[in-house]
Amino acid sequence: MRIDLTDLVFSRGSFTLRGSGTFGPGVHLVSGPVGSGKSTLALLLAELLRPESGAVRRHGVISALLLLQFPEHHVTCPTVAEEVRSWGLAPEDVLLRAGLVGRGDDDPFRLSRGELRRLTLACAAMRNPDLLMLDEPFSSLDCVAKREACRTIEERRAGITIIFSHERAVLPRVDALWEMEDGVLTARGSVPDAIPLWRHAPPYLAYALREGARPENIRLSDAREALCRIRG
Amino acid sequence: MIRITDLRHRLVDIPDLAVDACHIAVIGPNGSGKTTLLSICSGIEEPGAGTVRLLGRPPSAVKVGWVGEFPDRTLLFSRVYDEIASTPRFRHHPCPETDGMVREAAGKAGIPHLLDRKVASLSGGEKALVALAAACAGDPEVLVLDEADSHLDAVTAERVRRVVQESTAAHVLWCTQSMDTAAGADYVLFMENGLVRHHGTPEEVFSALEETCFYPAMWRVLR
Repeated sequence: MRIDLTDLVFSRGSFTLRGSGTFGPGVHLVSGPVGSGKSTLALLLAELLRPESGAVRRHGVISALLLLQFPEHHVTCPTVAEEVRSWGLAPEDVLLRAGLVGRGDDDPFRLSRGELRRLTLACAAMRNPDLLMLDEPFSSLDCVAKREACRTIEERRAGITIIFSHERAVLPRVDALWEMEDGVLTARGSVPDAIPLWRHAPPYLAYALREGARPENIRLSDAREALCRIRG
Repeated sequence: MIRITDLRHRLVDIPDLAVDACHIAVIGPNGSGKTTLLSICSGIEEPGAGTVRLLGRPPSAVKVGWVGEFPDRTLLFSRVYDEIASTPRFRHHPCPETDGMVREAAGKAGIPHLLDRKVASLSGGEKALVALAAACAGDPEVLVLDEADSHLDAVTAERVRRVVQESTAAHVLWCTQSMDTAAGADYVLFMENGLVRHHGTPEEVFSALEETCFYPAMWRVLR
């Protein structure tokens, strides 16, 4: 299972996105500043935008899902239970998993931002698509909710997961790092070798690297463990 | 001085709180009442019960600059210049004075080159800087930022931080989900279920939160 990007070019006004590379099974993190083209790349990978030239080719990917940055943009039904059914899922299972038992009759817009995000992420995870794309899954969540989202992402055992995010404190365990800057996608490679090459590394990770530590992954706990090892 | 007495509004319940610090960070889980508190302090909402005094006056009598989490939802005018000018214009300042305030605010936010642009053509980060410049035009006495950094990358967030740092406002009240940012405040309020659970210097508040994920990531690696 993989997605190949070959000489992808997409322009809008003065902005041009370019990228090549292969997304294999595992968790990929695409980081980069706001406005660098992360969401546009997500739409191209989801085949909701068509490239001007070059191609996005899916191999062995039967199902794909993109979770948009604002979970309210996914809402199509007047109650939480109907919303879950619209994903083709049983409300009981999803509400249990999302920690929303007893909220089935609520208006989805009555849920807090964190709750709504938990709901859409639980729906997406239970649909278990071959390709799951998450556009800024952590923004405006508190650290408890971010950790829950990380757990859901880490629990995905198969398929390709691509996270587009500028999150700087709470991150999941990932397999590969990518960076977007001024519309250009760059593959940094597999973790852990990619970590020292990561220009948008969060401050705690950048600090650990400066200290000479070699974290095995990108989480705060990985940075702390690596620091412990060199500090003794 | 910000003084809150017997405040009860929606889930927010603050019997007595007086803060004299300049840079005040409000932190806590989603739904703990941070935005409600900030809305009351900026005069956007009238409290159901109790009083809030900023500089000895009710919030409606104080020049407050306010920046929200989603600039897309609060920007009113189609041209950047008019958006920033709206603050002095709504305060009935004469045109030449307004023009001076717009250019000064745009300069501080580092966006003089955007003044003639259409708001719709801006990136998310640029919109946030426009919203900040509009809030800072005419030197507010109190500046309130409601998770204005939530959708910003590190570079833009740092620029926002610098503008806020240089503001002449007597109080800057901001809520954030970045504990590394909150650690740089003069004073921190930690809210939970509508209550102020901890308040004090960052050292005091975060030492009470050491076992939680609210402890700043940088402090964890520096220790």
